Amino acid sequence: MKIEELRAGDELLYSGEFLVMRDAAQKRLKKMIEENEEIPVSLDRAIVFYAGPAKPTKVSFGAIGPTTSSRMDSFLEMLYMKGVLATIGKGKRGPLSATLCRNYKRVYFLAPSGAAAALASRISDLTVLAFEDLGTEAIFRTQVKDFPLYVAIDSLGNDVFTLNRR
Amino acid sequence: MISAEEITGILGEAISRANTEMDPEIVKLLDLYEGPFSRVLKENAVAAKATGLPICQDTGFLEFFVFQGNEVTLEEPIVETLNLTVKKVYTSEPFRYSMVSDPLLKRENTGDNTPAICHLFPVRGNKLEVRFLVKGGGSENLSRLFMLNPASTVDEVVYTVVESIRESGTRGCPPLKIGIGIGGSSDKAMILAKLALTRSINEKHYDKEYAALEERILKDVNDLRIGYQGLGKGITAYSVHIETYPSHIAIMPIGLATDCYIARKGRIILED
Repeated sequence: MKIEELRAGDELLYSGEFLVMRDAAQKRLKKMIEENEEIPVSLDRAIVFYAGPAKPTKVSFGAIGPTTSSRMDSFLEMLYMKGVLATIGKGKRGPLSATLCRNYKRVYFLAPSGAAAALASRISDLTVLAFEDLGTEAIFRTQVKDFPLYVAIDSLGNDVFTLNRR
Repeated sequence: MISAEEITGILGEAISRANTEMDPEIVKLLDLYEGPFSRVLKENAVAAKATGLPICQDTGFLEFFVFQGNEVTLEEPIVETLNLTVKKVYTSEPFRYSMVSDPLLKRENTGDNTPAICHLFPVRGNKLEVRFLVKGGGSENLSRLFMLNPASTVDEVVYTVVESIRESGTRGCPPLKIGIGIGGSSDKAMILAKLALTRSINEKHYDKEYAALEERILKDVNDLRIGYQGLGKGITAYSVHIETYPSHIAIMPIGLATDCYIARKGRIILED
């Protein structure tokens, strides 16, 4: 996947690895970075999926799906500075995010929201990497296959939510 | 006397079902949707029912509306029974624990999805009715309270609601179900807005004028063309539900609450 070739509105099926993290983990990472502590995961070349999984079953790693990305806007530049390639979530982000995507040549994907049982079948691993005490808000690594994504903001800063509003 | 066990058994089953089986009326509308992610959303409705996995990973918090008749005797305090039910369902099903104890300083997960939010309404009779919403955080963040001037017109109320949905509608997993509480006090208006969400998407206000206002707001919201997943295709909202209460001469509180496209809810009625 060539990040810079993607355009707002493109749909694709992705197979590979995501780093799963959301509000609480990013708040904690930010504090660690501000206090010059070493963070417990590498964000270099990572694709960050804003999500908090439900509990696993005997046959499934559990229901999973995107949470609202705009809540994580204030952490986006921190992620890009640490080498994150793309973020995945749901909903329109604030205007700062499109600017950051353009400046850092990064993209923001949507994953289908409210499709957690279907997405569970595209996941083949879910391992806690850090902050286990946060429960569903810990940092996880997951392997996905044919995971549906939609480009909401491309590396030129085009935002599908702004384009759609005509 | 109604036992805690009876309430927990029947209510627990309803909560599990709300998390894993989509309302048939909503499935019908989903079947009509063609656009981004339409295939995976339709697949999801089938997969959740077949596997017992939740439709959405955000299995929400529980908001209960309890209508307890004055002839009803309960074995245990109702709020204890409701929390016990939530704990039982969420610790035994593959759902998510989404509640934190202290909301600001500690934010530690409670590990069983309790406590629930409970609203109690004493009524006459020998029935215990419990309505509930399984409320996700995404749509909950769209909630708003507007303290309008008491001389505000219907047009201003419509404008206020529609502009709020225009601003934040994509973040609540549309198509939305919209609850509006008009009147009472600031807190009452918000509870009414939530109570309105316990109605089915086809259940209009009993008063014709308010039913017409619901229709009007629904049309204006759908004209926003936010669409499924916020991507412009398909409807923006299923329904608008208004609840009202008398109010002070100096105020016109408007509570706005939304539910996401799954609109998980339920209702049980027991007799003593």
